[in-house]
Amino acid sequence: MSWFSPIRTATGGPLRHKMQAVVIAMVLLVSTASATLGFALLAASNTPFTHAFSAQRGADVTVTVNAARASSAQLAATRALGGVTAAAGPFAEATVQAQSGGQPFGQLVLAGRASPGGAVDDVVLNAGHWPDAPGQVVLDASPGPAQDGQGDGPSQGGEPKLGSTLSVTGVPGAPALTVVGFANSITNTADGWVTPGEVARLRAAGTPSSAQLLYRFAQAGDPAQVRADVAEINRALPPGAVAGAGSWLAAEDAATGNGAIMDPFVVAFALIGLVMAVLIVGNVVSGAVVAGYHRIGVLKSIGLTPAQVVVAYLSRVGAPALVGCLTGVVLGNLLAISVLAKSSAAYRVGSQQAPWWGSVAALAGMLALTALAALGPALRAGRLSAAEAIAAGRAPRAGRGYAAYRLANRLRLPRPIGLGLAAPFARPARTLVSLAAIAFGATAVIFAFGLHSSLSRAAASQNLTTTVPVQLQPFGPGAGPQQFPDAAQDAAVTAALRAQPGTRHDVAVYEDQVKLPGIAQGVNAQAFGGDASWVDYGIIAGHWYDAAGQVDVNTDFLTQSGLAVGDTATVVIGTDPVTVRIAGEVFQPSRQPMLFGSVQTLPGLATAANLQEYYVGLRAGTSASAYIRAVNARLGSRSPWAATGPDGGQFYQIASALIGLLALMVAIAAGLGVLNTVLMTTRDRVHDLGIFKALGMRPGQMLTMVVCWIAGPAVIAAVIAAPAAVALNTATIGAMAGTAHTGIPASFTQVFPPSRLALLSLAALVIAAAGALLPAGWAARARPATALRAE
Amino acid sequence: MRQQPIPGGDVIRLDGVTKTYQAGPPALADVSMSVAAGEVVAVMGPSGSGKSTLLNLIAGLDRPTAGTVTVAGRRIDTMGESALARFRARHVGIVFQFFNLLDDLTVEDNVLLPAQLAGASRKQARARADELLERMGIEQHKNAYPARLSGGQRQRVAIARALVNSPELLLADEPTGALDTASGLQIGALLRELNAAGQTLVLVTHDPALAGRYAARTVRLVDGQLAGADLEVPA
Repeated sequence: MSWFSPIRTATGGPLRHKMQAVVIAMVLLVSTASATLGFALLAASNTPFTHAFSAQRGADVTVTVNAARASSAQLAATRALGGVTAAAGPFAEATVQAQSGGQPFGQLVLAGRASPGGAVDDVVLNAGHWPDAPGQVVLDASPGPAQDGQGDGPSQGGEPKLGSTLSVTGVPGAPALTVVGFANSITNTADGWVTPGEVARLRAAGTPSSAQLLYRFAQAGDPAQVRADVAEINRALPPGAVAGAGSWLAAEDAATGNGAIMDPFVVAFALIGLVMAVLIVGNVVSGAVVAGYHRIGVLKSIGLTPAQVVVAYLSRVGAPALVGCLTGVVLGNLLAISVLAKSSAAYRVGSQQAPWWGSVAALAGMLALTALAALGPALRAGRLSAAEAIAAGRAPRAGRGYAAYRLANRLRLPRPIGLGLAAPFARPARTLVSLAAIAFGATAVIFAFGLHSSLSRAAASQNLTTTVPVQLQPFGPGAGPQQFPDAAQDAAVTAALRAQPGTRHDVAVYEDQVKLPGIAQGVNAQAFGGDASWVDYGIIAGHWYDAAGQVDVNTDFLTQSGLAVGDTATVVIGTDPVTVRIAGEVFQPSRQPMLFGSVQTLPGLATAANLQEYYVGLRAGTSASAYIRAVNARLGSRSPWAATGPDGGQFYQIASALIGLLALMVAIAAGLGVLNTVLMTTRDRVHDLGIFKALGMRPGQMLTMVVCWIAGPAVIAAVIAAPAAVALNTATIGAMAGTAHTGIPASFTQVFPPSRLALLSLAALVIAAAGALLPAGWAARARPATALRAE
Repeated sequence: MRQQPIPGGDVIRLDGVTKTYQAGPPALADVSMSVAAGEVVAVMGPSGSGKSTLLNLIAGLDRPTAGTVTVAGRRIDTMGESALARFRARHVGIVFQFFNLLDDLTVEDNVLLPAQLAGASRKQARARADELLERMGIEQHKNAYPARLSGGQRQRVAIARALVNSPELLLADEPTGALDTASGLQIGALLRELNAAGQTLVLVTHDPALAGRYAARTVRLVDGQLAGADLEVPA
């Protein structure tokens, strides 16, 4: 007989201890999936733009040329310029005004490309197919770089879906384009792509034909090098041929800005998940071995050697662990597909894949953890004599928990409740592990709610979604490239707004670049043509301006200028210096300094050319969508102005979805940890449970008692989790704000009023009850005779 | 607190009771028997004859595969688990061979537990427990834990626990099996005293001397079946 034969017999096969095997497999499955997903997220947040730019062969420079000023040969010759390492194009392009669902969709730059791939700017198709016939368009899935820090780019009307139709206005025949796909260009070389032959019919009459060329250079690492590269192209083409140039640096700036903000909470959740996985796996596996001590002793007494015993128990734990880990890796990768699709959109990259090393690390790590957790108790069992192993495998050492039982009796609680609350003290180590698992799970849940609330407030504050439900912008059906509304058209807007009974507030917003000594780049100034206090920008410090000469600024303004709230500054509007006093700092995260004031404080800004939009506040009970339709109907189909709703902010939506998924996974893992603990305790105490039943404990009382085993630790876990989650939320929001180079109003972290925190803390009890109910039910249903026979 | 006598006199009645586990021959096959109020009946048989199975069915710890079980005038084979638990708490006291005390409760708490589960008032239950502990001669150990007591003392605690709700029926499964001779004799004497005061007692044992000493009637089981007629044991 081989050395392994008695081991096979002693193990009893994987089906012999089904419940234990299932629990081990489930815990390892969830833990490994969490670890795989955690590693994928950590990798995704590690310079995602840089990786994607390399993978998609991003364009260092996108040059727009006037096709009438340069011949094809001249354009082709630029590929051979000394600094150029790769080139693509020329791709004909057209700038169009589009509508979706009858609502303004905005201005789009459409390029004609036969295929998404190429030596430069490998466009990643995320959904649908590439245009292969006239009347089709693929839209860029990620919005363009943030405009003046206002949200994630304009969203005019309803978001199109696959199969939606966009109408191009301002060109003969108002051609329709069906959305056949969504794609991502890492440097946003276009807002959409059509077949090359389609471009001509999309150009408005009289507009010059333009094309884009995409280049990669040997040197393009900083703005100076990019400017030199563009100059080289310019010199190689006839004068006036180059109409414009876009740099990859601007795209990187926008992508890393928003994406980096996600890092703190992604890291927080990844760490919570990994630590909890370690805790629970360790507890489950070591507990499974310890629970088998009695059997180990019996096996030794009949002749198995210590080594054979160790191998028998490692294999008994290892088999379901391996199944769980392998399944967990598969599940983690499947989950990562959905999660990384969201994160890639937030990071503004084409696509992200779960790294292979993440799966390997998760699998190897969890298996190693299992082996470590099992090896210690297994080696100890191997060293014990048969009699010691049998004794060690029985009920907890006498003397533990006696005081708790006496106290519970004195408290005059119903007996099952008292017995249940006192039981955890008999196994303090196991109780501590359960408490920690519940605390982690509850912390994650409370943190998730808080983070969602904080980010919702940030989104509402940044995008003014609550206070400004309607905006009017010059992207209406009558707008066109290089066309601006005239005075009569502007006046029509005011009349249209005043005619609506739902109008409560409205204010014109003028925007232009101004100069401030000490700030190299321009300052984006917004001047309001009336009372704008109702717009309710988030105040970080100070207050909204309420007197002439006062302005508000964003954090970047203060950072770049070195000024503080209360200081005065000299702003140059055109050539005229204006002295202003900084009344407050507002929440408008941007890499560009911003300044807000009245048209009286910022004279010279309120010109027709600078009129950017109108903000509208509605009376209570007014439907924003109905109001928008009414205003647009009043303005008519020739107006360059169109009413629309505010952009909700894709980043915040993606972040919320990620938060929810991660918190759910952590909570499930915590619940499984509780399930395992209660199951182990039920097995330990099955004989005692039989005695209780024999003495007259009813099934309902039994269930209550078993659930109470975990109720006490759950309450303590709730007390720990609540402040931990509050602190974690404050720290994470602070870190996210720091990454976004902005301060935040105090209200962003004040999302836990006492009543809400108390309610959320119940998450600990919910997790505990969810994990305990199944084994409690089994204990309640077990036959007394069966339980009494068990030892 | 003593329950009223059962009309007709039978505390236990089994009619055609069969108990079969998953595979193999039945543990009990077509067993019919009765126990009158105030009787002491010994159930005897070799190992595996079905003695403990019979006790479990009478106590409602298990359900018969066929037949009916009536205890204290109630059909317990048709009761739900909750009703059975309530019934056990109020009408049946069980004494086990290995005591089955709860090690993390004091002696007094062990005795109180069935009364608390049955919903007795704290004061009433405590008074009854103290009375029983004194009667068992172990009142001085009421705050001690079972691990510190001798086997005989533990069995006295178990008997006190079994009697706290004044059940009509006391079941004892090998009550002296884990005790030394002297302790066993003391426990046997205690059980006889209880019966003399009117307690109905069913005693499972494989020891003919024990059965002869304390039981008025013996029921024999062999391979799950009753063997021979009930024997009246001379006083």
